[in-house]
Amino acid sequence: MKKTLILILLLAGSLLPEVSAQADFQKDWRNFPIVVSLQFHAISMPFRNMGSNFKNFGLGIGTEVSHNGSQNWVQQFEVVWFKNKASGNGIHLSTQVAWRPGFGSGVFGELKAGIGYLIAKRPGDAWAMKDGQWEKLSHGRKGKLTIPIGIGGGYYSYSDNTFVSPFVGYQVLFVSKYNASIPIMPQSLVQFGGRIHPNYSNTIVD
Amino acid sequence: MKTYAISILLSIFCMQVHAQDWSVRACADKPNEAANPALQDALETLVKTGIPGAVAVVYKKGKLEHYAAGYASIEDRVPMGTCQGHYLQSIAKLYLAVTVMQLSEMGKVELDQKIGQYLPAEVLDLLPDSQQITVRMLLNHTSGLPEYNDVPLYVTRLLQNPDRVFEPMELLGYVNSKKLDFEPGSRYSYRNTNYLVLALMMDHLTLDHVAFMKTQIFDKLGLQNTFYRISPASPAKEAIVQSYWDRFSDGKIENISQFQWNNVASMIGDDGIVSTPEDAILFLRALMEGRLISENSLREMKSWVKTAKGVEEYGLGLDLGRFAGQEGMGHSGGGLGSGTQLYYFPEKDLYVFMGINLGTVTASPIHEKAEEILEHIYQVLLK
Repeated sequence: MKKTLILILLLAGSLLPEVSAQADFQKDWRNFPIVVSLQFHAISMPFRNMGSNFKNFGLGIGTEVSHNGSQNWVQQFEVVWFKNKASGNGIHLSTQVAWRPGFGSGVFGELKAGIGYLIAKRPGDAWAMKDGQWEKLSHGRKGKLTIPIGIGGGYYSYSDNTFVSPFVGYQVLFVSKYNASIPIMPQSLVQFGGRIHPNYSNTIVD
Repeated sequence: MKTYAISILLSIFCMQVHAQDWSVRACADKPNEAANPALQDALETLVKTGIPGAVAVVYKKGKLEHYAAGYASIEDRVPMGTCQGHYLQSIAKLYLAVTVMQLSEMGKVELDQKIGQYLPAEVLDLLPDSQQITVRMLLNHTSGLPEYNDVPLYVTRLLQNPDRVFEPMELLGYVNSKKLDFEPGSRYSYRNTNYLVLALMMDHLTLDHVAFMKTQIFDKLGLQNTFYRISPASPAKEAIVQSYWDRFSDGKIENISQFQWNNVASMIGDDGIVSTPEDAILFLRALMEGRLISENSLREMKSWVKTAKGVEEYGLGLDLGRFAGQEGMGHSGGGLGSGTQLYYFPEKDLYVFMGINLGTVTASPIHEKAEEILEHIYQVLLK
C-alpha cells in the first residue's frame, strides 16, 4: 500500500517547476475553515503495513488559522475518532504547525508536526480486581501524549463564496507509554478530506 | 441498495461486539494427597493481586499434589483447576532441546558442528554471519543472533493483526537485515531466535520436527494432553484456560484468548506447546530420570554457561533458577496471556509446575505484588 505515499509525493513533487506561482497561492487565505476528513488508522511503523490502515475507519474534524496571513504557515486543530477492532478504538486530539509550499495552479504540499493526546480504548472489555472481586469495565481507556508528524498535499482554489479545498495526508503518531514495556508505539493515519471555507463575512446577522 | 448502505454504516459506526467463542471446562475435584494448606493459602493470596487464576502441581515422594485458585475464565466464572491446559511458552525450549539431544544420540547432529551444515539455504540466507555459530551456541544462547521478538516492525504487526498466525520463516525474516549482537560464543544472552533456528534445523534433519517430538516425547511418555503446533482444530482448544493481558500496564486486564492462541500457534521451537501441569511434570521427571536421553546427554544439558556476573545460568535448553535460596533446573515461560514455571529441585527431590493465565511478557503493576507472593510460595514449597 505504498500507492498512497506515491500519490502524495507525486502530487507534491511533480509540480515543483511551477513553484514560481507560489505567490498567487499565498493570497486570499481565509481563516477557520471547517476541516472534515476520513481517517484510516493502524498501529504500524511509518509507511509500513499500510494495508492495515484501510481496515480501520475514522472521522476527523478541525480547523486552522494562519500564522502569516497566507496558507503556507498554519496552525491546525483537529479531533479524530477512529475505530480499530484489532487494537482498540481511539480519539486523538492534536494541534500541529503545518508548512505548505505551493507548487502552482493551486496545488500544495504539506509538512506538519505538533503535539497531541490519544484517548485509547482496549479492543474488548476490561476487568479489574476490587476488594477481592472482579469488576467489569467497559473497554477501559487510557490517555497518552503523542507527537504527530505528517506529510500531505492538496488543492486550493480561492473563491469569494464558500469553497472546498481537498487534501490527502499521511500522519505518523508517536504514542507515548503504550505500556510499561513499550515506551513509544508508532501509529499512523491515512487521511482524505476537504477544508470547507465559508465566507464568514457574508454571514447575515439578524 | 439502501439496505446495503445502511448495513455498511451500521457496521462502521456500531460498537463492536467482542465475541468470545472460547469455553473452558471446569475440573472435577482432585484429591489432594499430602496437601499443604499453606501453599493453597498462598495461591489464594496470589490471585487477590489481580491475577485471574493460578495453578500449582507438585510431585514429591511419589505423590502428586494439586493446588488451584481463581478463575480459568473470569467471564464464565469457571474455576481454575489442575486438569486444564496451559501455554507452556518458553518451556517449549526444553522440549526442543531434548529432541536435539535425541538426534545427537542417533548420530545425526553434532553439537559443536557449525549450523551451516544442518540448515537449508533459505534459512541460512536469512541469518546474519551464521558461519561461526554451532548447534551448542543455539542451545545455550551464546550465538549472538539478534532477537526477532522485539523488532518494532514485528511488534506493530503483531498488535495490529491479533487474528493472524505468522509463519516461522516470516518471523526469522525480521532479523534478516540485522547484525549479530556479539561474537558467537563470547557470552550468554537469551534469544528466542536461537530456538526458532533450532526448530528449522530439526525440520530439515527429521523432515518434520513436530512429528519427531510427538513420537520421541509425547507418545513415548503417554502425554495425552500435550500438543505442539496448535491449530484451530487442535483438541487443546477444548480445555485450555482463557488468557488475559494488562495491555496498558494499568492493572486492568482484558481477555485475549484468541490473540494468545494465534500467537502461540505462530511459534516453533522457542514456544508453541500446550500442556496440562501433570503432563509437564511427567516430562520433566522423565528427563531427569534418564527416560528420554542418556546420562551423558543429560550431563551435557547441565553444562551451565555463566552470566556477565559469573552466575551459572543456562545449559542446553535447561535453565538453572534460584528460588527461596535453592537451585532448580527446568525452564520458565512468559507470553502475552500466560506465565509458567516447570522446575526440579534436586535437594528436595521435588518437581513443581506453576501457571497463571495472565500475560507476563509486558510489565504490569499486578506482577510487582505477585512476585513477592511467588517468592513466599517457593519458601512454603521448599522449606
